[in-house]
Amino acid sequence: MDVYPRILSRIWGVPGSHTLAVAEQHGAYNAARKALAMSPAEVTDVVLKSGLRGRGGAGFPTGRKWTFVPPPEKRGGKPVYLLCNADESEPGTFKDRFCMWNDPHQLIEGMIIASHALGVRRAYIYLRGEFEYVQRRLDEALAEAYAKGYLGENIFGSGFSFDLYTHLGAGAYICGEETALISSIEGYKGQPRLKPPFPAVKGVWESPTIVNNVETLAAVPWIIENGWEAYKAIGTEQSPGTKLFSCSGHIMKPGVYEIPLGTPMMDLLNKWCGGLRPGRTLKAIIPGGSSVPVMTPAEVAQANMDYESINKVAGSYLGSGGFIVMDDSTDMVDALTNLLRFYAHESCGQCTPCREGSAWMYNILCRLRDGLATEDDLVALRDLADNIHSRTICFFGASAAMPVQSFVTKFRDEFVARVESARAGLPAGLAVAK
Amino acid sequence: MPLVKVNGIAVEVPPGTNMIEAAKKVGVEIPHYCYHPHLSVAGNCRMCLVDVEAGGRGPDIACNMAATEGLAIRTDTPKVTQMRKSVMEFLLVNHPLDCPICDQSGECRLQDYYMEYGQHDSRLADAKMGKGKRQDIGDQIVLDAERCVQCSRCVRFSDEVTGTGELRLFNRSNQTQIGIFPGVRLSHQYQGNLADICPVGALTLKDFRFKKRVWWLKESESVCGGCATGCNILVHHQENEVYRFTPRRNDEVNKSWICDQGRLSYKDVTSLKRLTGAKVDGQRAELPEAANAAALLLKGAKVGVVFGAKATTEANWAAVKLVRARLPNARAYVIEGNDPDAFTYQDEILVDSDKTPNRFGAALTASQLGSVGDAEALKAALASGEVDALLVLHDDVVGRLGVATPKALVYVGTFKNATSSAAAVVLPAAHYIEQPGTWINRQGRVQRLRKTVAPAGDSVADYAAVDAIGRAFGGAVIPEMPAAIFQELAAGVKALNGLTLKGLGHGGQLITLFAPSPGVDQPGQAAPAK
Repeated sequence: MDVYPRILSRIWGVPGSHTLAVAEQHGAYNAARKALAMSPAEVTDVVLKSGLRGRGGAGFPTGRKWTFVPPPEKRGGKPVYLLCNADESEPGTFKDRFCMWNDPHQLIEGMIIASHALGVRRAYIYLRGEFEYVQRRLDEALAEAYAKGYLGENIFGSGFSFDLYTHLGAGAYICGEETALISSIEGYKGQPRLKPPFPAVKGVWESPTIVNNVETLAAVPWIIENGWEAYKAIGTEQSPGTKLFSCSGHIMKPGVYEIPLGTPMMDLLNKWCGGLRPGRTLKAIIPGGSSVPVMTPAEVAQANMDYESINKVAGSYLGSGGFIVMDDSTDMVDALTNLLRFYAHESCGQCTPCREGSAWMYNILCRLRDGLATEDDLVALRDLADNIHSRTICFFGASAAMPVQSFVTKFRDEFVARVESARAGLPAGLAVAK
Repeated sequence: MPLVKVNGIAVEVPPGTNMIEAAKKVGVEIPHYCYHPHLSVAGNCRMCLVDVEAGGRGPDIACNMAATEGLAIRTDTPKVTQMRKSVMEFLLVNHPLDCPICDQSGECRLQDYYMEYGQHDSRLADAKMGKGKRQDIGDQIVLDAERCVQCSRCVRFSDEVTGTGELRLFNRSNQTQIGIFPGVRLSHQYQGNLADICPVGALTLKDFRFKKRVWWLKESESVCGGCATGCNILVHHQENEVYRFTPRRNDEVNKSWICDQGRLSYKDVTSLKRLTGAKVDGQRAELPEAANAAALLLKGAKVGVVFGAKATTEANWAAVKLVRARLPNARAYVIEGNDPDAFTYQDEILVDSDKTPNRFGAALTASQLGSVGDAEALKAALASGEVDALLVLHDDVVGRLGVATPKALVYVGTFKNATSSAAAVVLPAAHYIEQPGTWINRQGRVQRLRKTVAPAGDSVADYAAVDAIGRAFGGAVIPEMPAAIFQELAAGVKALNGLTLKGLGHGGQLITLFAPSPGVDQPGQAAPAK
C-alpha cells in the first residue's frame, strides 16, 4: 500500500473525534478561517482546479456545479441555498454515515466554506429517515459550533453569517435524487422534478440551489488547507483525490476504506478488504452501489477504482463507491431478485416506465427464482429494462434497469439454467444435467 | 420567433412554445396523457417521448421541450414508435381492460393510442394490482382507481384551477393510486371537467354513466347560455336527443372548462317547463293565429318593448325592425338583474353574477331606438299608463319587477314563468341550442349559436317568433336566413359593422364598443380602441 494522506477519514478512530475539542486538536476549522479570508471566487477557483468530483454517484465536477448558480442580478432577489445530500440509501453504500458519525465537524466546515463560495446564508443537511441517531450527533456538533461562534452571525469576524440546519427525511431512497430531495425538504411528496429548470437555477423554494453529497463537502476543507495542487497530486488525472469505499459482501474485512482513486480494484479487494473467504473464488463485484452494472472477475482484474477505468473496462460506474463482492456461493438469480425487490419498492411511482416496469421486472424475477418462468420471460425481462432505461424523469429508472441488463447479459447461463430447470419440472434451484 | 423543425417540416412558433403544440401547428400529433394545454407540465406519462435531431439531447419528452432556435425533433422514427409501444404496454400492466362496461370507451386515449401503438401480443403473466373501484368522491364524479394511468391531470386541475386540492396520487411504486383525502368530498362547481380531462375512464360523470355509447353521439358547436361568460360548448346529441354538454376549447373565454351548472343545463332542453306551443288567453293556438292575436293587442297601444338579455341579438334586432315598421311610438326597455329562478352561485373562475348570456346584445340593439329605459322607468310608465301593452323577449319581467302588468302582454320565450302565465299571448321560442343566432358575452365577444337539434314542439327560433308578429302586421321585418339577418344587423348597428356570421368563426369576435367588464348591466361609454 502506497503512502497517501487520509483526507476524509483523517481522525476516524481517534477517541471523541466527533467532538469539537478533539476535532480542533486535529486542525478543524483552520480551513474555514483561511477560506473566509479569501474571496468567494478564489474559493470556487481552488475547488474547480482541485478536480474534486461529486461523490454522490454521478461524479460531476463540484467546482463547475458551483459556477452554475446565476449571478446576483439574475436571481430575481432570491437567496442561494446549499443542501447537503445525506440521504445515503443506495444498497451497499454507507460511507456518508461514517463521515458524519466520526467527524461531523469536517462536514460542517466544508459547508461553511462552500456557502461562503456560493453566497449562501442558510443551508440544510438532508438526512435519510433512518439516520435519526446521526442527526442527533450532527445537532450536537452544530450546537458546539454555534457556541464557539463558528456558525451564526459574523463568523471569525469575517462579516460572513451563516446558519446550518439538519432535516430528517422520511426514509425514501428516491429523496437522494436531488430534485426529489428538494420536493421533500419543501414538504411535498418526495418525487423528482422535471429538468429543466435545473436546481442551480430554480431549486428549493424556487431559488438557486446547490445540492452536494456529504463526502464531497467533507473533502473541501482539506483542499482549501492544502491547496488544489496537493489534492490533484493524488489519484488520477481525471479522477483526482481519495474516495471512500463502502466494502461489503463476501470479504474478510468489510468496512469503509479511503483510498486514492485509480487504485487497482484487485488491490482494494485483496489488500484492504482482506480478500475472499478461504477456499472461495470471485464471481462478481458491483463496484459503485447496487445501481451500477455488475462486473465479472475478468473485468475486475483489469479495472482501477476511478470513474474512467470502470466505465472503460466494464461499462460500469464508480457510483457512490458501494463495493459489493460476491463469491461463487452466490446465486445470481437470487441476488438480482433481491436487488429488484428494493427498486420495485422504492420507485416513486411518478412516471410510467419506472412505476410499472420496476415491479414487473421484480415479478418476472420472482417467477424465475421460483422456477415458474419461461424463455419469453427472460426476453421480456431484458426488454423491459431497455424500455425503462433513459426514458424516465430521473435516473432511478436507469438505476433499476442497469443491474438487470448487466446480470442477464454477463451471467446469462445462470438465468437460462433456471428456465431450463423450470421446463424440466425440476424444483427451483436444481439444474438440468448436461 | 424561433424556427423549429418537426419531422423535417419547419415552423415558426413563439419562444417557449412546447413541442407538442409546435408539432400540432404542422399537423403532427404527438400522443400524450399527462400534458394538458391549460395545466402545468408534469411530464410523467412519457408517451410524448420524441427523438431530437438537433438543438438538444434525446430521446426526451416533447411536453417539457421549449422551442428554441434550431431545435429539430422527429416523431416518425422506428425508435419513437417503439418507445410509444413500450409506454402503452407499461400503462396497461395494471389496467383492468374493462372497456365493455367503461363509459370512456370510444373517447379513451388508451384505446385510441392502442390501435396505433399497441403491443397486441400480450406478455402480461402476473396478476394486476387491485385498487379502489366505484368510489363516490363528489356530487358529480365517480372514481375507479384501477383505470387510472396516474397522469395527475385531475390533481393539477384541483390544485391549479379550482385551488381546492382534494385529489392526490397516494402511495408509490406500482401501488400508486389516485384518491381523495379522507373525509373530503369534491364540492366545487367544476367537477365535470375532471371527467373531461381524465384521459381514461377513472373519473366519470355520474350524470352520463351508462347513458350512451359515445360513438353514437354527434357533436355540434354552441355556447352555454347559463351566464354572461358564454362558455363555448359542444352539444352531444343523437336523433334529436341531447345527452350532454362538454366544454369546447376557447382560450379567450373558458379555456377548456365549463361549470357543472352549465354542463347539466342540457336537461333544460327537455324540461317540463318548456313552452312548446303558442297560447292565446291561456288556450293552445297555432303560431300564426297567436301572432295575429299579438298584432291586434299591440296595434295602436302604448307599447313597451322589453329587449331580451337571454334572446339572440337577431331576435332583439327583429324587435327593433318591428318597432320601426309597425310600432313607431313604442318605448325600449332593458331590465337589469336576473330572473327569480336563476342560479345564485358565482365565482372568479367562470361563473358570472349576471345570468343572462346576451345583455350587451339586448342593450346594443335597444339603443338603436334612442333612449332605453330600465326597470324603474318601466314600473313608472306602467303605473302612469304611459305604457299599456308589453312585448317581452325571454325576460321574466313579472317575476323580476313583481308588479302587475297590463293585460296586453305578448311573451316570446322558451320557459314557463310568471310572465308567460300572465301573458295574453305566448309565442314559444326554441331553446338556444335549437336555433341559430348570436350572443354578445361579458367581454363584448360576439359568439355564434347553431341549430344542433330540432326545436321542441311548435317552438321556433326567437327571431322568427318576433318576425311572425311582423308578418301578422302585414309583412316580414327581417330576412329569413340567419346569415342575411346578421348581415343586416351588422350593417345597422355601428359596433357590429364589418362582421359577418361566418367571420365569427369558432371562437367569436371581440367588439370594442363596450368596456369589457363583467357584470355591467348597461352599455358603457365607447371604450378606447386597443
